[in-house]
Amino acid sequence: MSKIPLVPENTKPLPALGENQGMLSWVASVDHKQIGIMYLISTMVFFVIGGLEALVIRMQLAKPEFDFVSPEVYNQMFTMHGTTMIFFVVMPFLIGLGVYLVPLMIGARDMAFPRLNALSFWLVVFGGILLYYSFLTQSGPSEVGWFAYAPLSEKPFSLNKGPTYWALGLLATGISSVASGLNNIVTILTMRTKGMTMRRLPLFVWMILVTSFLLIFVIPIIASAFAMMLLDRLLDATFFTPAHGGSAILWQHFFWGFGHPEVYILVLPAFGIISEVIPVFSRKPIYGYEFVAGSTVAIGLLSMGVWAHHMFAVGLGNVANLYFSLASMLIAIPTGIKVLNWVATMWGGKIWFATPMLFATAFIIEFVLGGLTGVAIASVPIDWVATDTYFIVAHFHYVLFGGSLFAIFAGVYYWFPKFTGRMMSERLGKWHFWLTVIGFNMTFFIQHFLGLMGMPRRTYTYHDFPYWGSMNLLSTIGAFVLAISVLIFIWNIRRSLKHGEKAPDNPWNAWTLEWATSSPPAVHNFDLVPPVRGRRPLWDLEHPDNPDEPNAKIVL
Amino acid sequence: MNIWQVLSSTWNMEPWVLISALFLLIGYGIATGFKFTKLSALFVSGIALYVFALVSPLDYLGRTYLFSAHMIQHILLLLIVPLLLLLAIPEKLAKKALSVEPFGSIMKVLGHPLIAWFLGVGAMWVWHLPSLHDMVLANDNLYIAQQISFVLIGMIFWWPVFAPVESRRLSPLTSTLYLSSACLGCTILGMLITFAGAGLYAAYMTPVDTMGILPLLRGELCLTPGVDQQIGGLTMWVPGCLIYLTASMVTLARWYSTEENYEISTTHYKEIKNFE
Amino acid sequence: MANNKMLIGFFVASESIFFLMLILAYVNFHGTITDGPTAANSLDPLRTGIFSLFLLASSFSVWLAGRSMASKNHFMLKIWLVVTILLGALFIYGQASEWLGLIDQNITISRNVFGTTFFTLTGFHGFHVCVGLLMLTILLGLAMFGDFKGPKSDGVECVSIYWHFVDGVWIVVYSVIYLWAFL
Repeated sequence: MSKIPLVPENTKPLPALGENQGMLSWVASVDHKQIGIMYLISTMVFFVIGGLEALVIRMQLAKPEFDFVSPEVYNQMFTMHGTTMIFFVVMPFLIGLGVYLVPLMIGARDMAFPRLNALSFWLVVFGGILLYYSFLTQSGPSEVGWFAYAPLSEKPFSLNKGPTYWALGLLATGISSVASGLNNIVTILTMRTKGMTMRRLPLFVWMILVTSFLLIFVIPIIASAFAMMLLDRLLDATFFTPAHGGSAILWQHFFWGFGHPEVYILVLPAFGIISEVIPVFSRKPIYGYEFVAGSTVAIGLLSMGVWAHHMFAVGLGNVANLYFSLASMLIAIPTGIKVLNWVATMWGGKIWFATPMLFATAFIIEFVLGGLTGVAIASVPIDWVATDTYFIVAHFHYVLFGGSLFAIFAGVYYWFPKFTGRMMSERLGKWHFWLTVIGFNMTFFIQHFLGLMGMPRRTYTYHDFPYWGSMNLLSTIGAFVLAISVLIFIWNIRRSLKHGEKAPDNPWNAWTLEWATSSPPAVHNFDLVPPVRGRRPLWDLEHPDNPDEPNAKIVL
Repeated sequence: MNIWQVLSSTWNMEPWVLISALFLLIGYGIATGFKFTKLSALFVSGIALYVFALVSPLDYLGRTYLFSAHMIQHILLLLIVPLLLLLAIPEKLAKKALSVEPFGSIMKVLGHPLIAWFLGVGAMWVWHLPSLHDMVLANDNLYIAQQISFVLIGMIFWWPVFAPVESRRLSPLTSTLYLSSACLGCTILGMLITFAGAGLYAAYMTPVDTMGILPLLRGELCLTPGVDQQIGGLTMWVPGCLIYLTASMVTLARWYSTEENYEISTTHYKEIKNFE
Repeated sequence: MANNKMLIGFFVASESIFFLMLILAYVNFHGTITDGPTAANSLDPLRTGIFSLFLLASSFSVWLAGRSMASKNHFMLKIWLVVTILLGALFIYGQASEWLGLIDQNITISRNVFGTTFFTLTGFHGFHVCVGLLMLTILLGLAMFGDFKGPKSDGVECVSIYWHFVDGVWIVVYSVIYLWAFL
């Protein structure tokens, strides 16, 4: 332990308030850890709201010809549920996790632009408030679905203010996402500690880097589309109104030009979480680091060229459909490489099924299921049958819930000790895990069949066809099981915050830099940054006789 | 006539193609001493593709009947042939050549990533301006100039990524940005061609049907002008972009397989002290 | 710090995608207009071309401002900033009078797709020019109070990168809207 360099004082002290100023020290904070925590808390709030909306949807569909809510409220619920979960839960959660962890993982004091970081966070909150403010307007929030197809989202079909607030709220979060993307890129490219070369970056940081590039290049697409939609709605412009020479298809191109890469924005950081958790709990270094990192770049680039597979039913022509079908299937290759690497990491490892690992393992299984249905509907004939049915709903819930959200749970259980200095309860964690797995599959697996039987997506209600009622009821019961699991999760967080076992600095015996500092980290992150001479700095510290890169020089 | 007869009777042994290929082969042989190596195999396959693109039915059909055939030829000549030729140049030879003035400084200018990028993407865009493309189809000399410019500009485009001399290459991450932005340029053009609606290039609407195969193409093969143009646009868009993507994967792979020097800039910390 | 310039570089890249989308929307509708105003029958490429020259010249003058700062010529820095702001303001004046002229002929954003795409594209560009002018004015104000003695300042360099970007976008916008319609 003799070769630990001392980190000297920061050249420019950051404007941080003292410990004892209560809420103000949070609201005025530019510290990446506090901002990260605030991201996580606000996404939890939105998660609960979005979940309640999902429960309303499922209640309405629990039995045939039910009228639990009115059709208008139902439309508002699925619109707000989708929007909330994508833009105010998964995205800000993953960005927030990045904000908290990236500087720690690369051995930096803070993000490159701490104030910009605070702006990003508060813009998300602002966007969320704008979105939910529409509940207070006369005719309620947007009813046009999360992709707001024109001309339904245009005058005269949506005269209420809902879609306007919707677009404004999402525009605000869009700006926030670009800002945090820029901040992350500059931080990762310029603020790594000595020895932390790009090829030694923790995979989570790699994923955040690629995601950030996607953010800054893809969000402007939807930002411009939102601007056009707002001009249409507020100044009677005619971008997307076919009646006045505009083009409704143009909206679809713009929306999916953003929407498909967005899927990878939602899932790449989740891949990053999994790539951190699996090696630690298998007690092996990740298998094929280069392939995991490289395939991410491939996914990032490919994702921008395949959006038209969301539009097979539009009538782009057989040739276009054929090309996009093939290109979409190609994405399965880099994704498959990742799955193989995770499995190969687990193979022959000493696997320790703590709660984070349980979620990570379940992630692989559920995500592969979602990926397989994805490859299926990338083929045009299958898509023509399945499009806009519950098959699609099942598919993207397997990707976004079974994928992103499972990874998020894994991440929370994994890093909670670092965030708070307390362990989460394993017992409650296991309850949470099993109820989530059961509830999730109960809710969504059956929807594959419902979809193939012809149940359309977003339908307000349905006739009493054979089995439809019972299958939907099963799905609804599953949703309530999920709700209970979320309650347990929240209870676990609350209880662990107060009574959780005190966490050591490195409770999981992990190897990345964030575990080298105290739990929770001090305001200045590190007293000492360990020397980085391999991909697993803490392993190298503990095993000076058996480092990962025996030939690496120590640079000081 | 059926499709096989068309494909077998439209080989067009243009003397300038064969002569230039022979010239290049002999030149390469002299420069490298006629040894058979991995590099020379790349060069020979590059030349073979070059000849194929210019004498096969792709050439004939692309000049008279089918935009899609032209596009495949275009992708071969702008993206694949030059890449193979560039990769085949041995490092030693390139170093020697670059030390000769003015060639060295010319390559410094042309090989500057910004200039190379604009040349590479510009060649795609400019040669596909509808009026220019129709002009090219009507004029043999212009056509030859176009094909040669594809190969030359293609080599310049690939230079910053795959230059035989390592010091002239961009770093892997910058190459990825270089290639993906070029991919964006080619995507947009492909997109415009795909969605422009039939008849962007007037020459393909009513070709002079000297062979009498138009009914075959339009009828049996369903290659109506609209479909043909869509295939062309999409070929540029999807497979075209995949070439850039594959190339950036190759640069990443090359990066991972080399020993690296530390590339660190810590801006927030002063010199880290060693207290042994 | 190199950080700031890297940030503005990526920011500009991100912004160019935004403009690319607006331009694509314009291009998408270019051939679809059957009646009403179009670029060819309602715009004056020469007049706007002349005002464009002011914007191009301002890119040059902001570069000269940076050069003056590098050579520690504080006075010339201020002069070139003033020149840049004046040239930018002249361009904006040209844009505003063009807009007013069109609106007088009842060509508005809601008239047809040409109006929609034209006003959106030039409007967002004009907005960016105004933001640039605001930043230049702040720079000038700070310079008046004795800042930017040189030889380096990220503030000046970043604003000038942004200004070149706004200029570059205009070259594309002008070519697409004006040159395409008249060539």
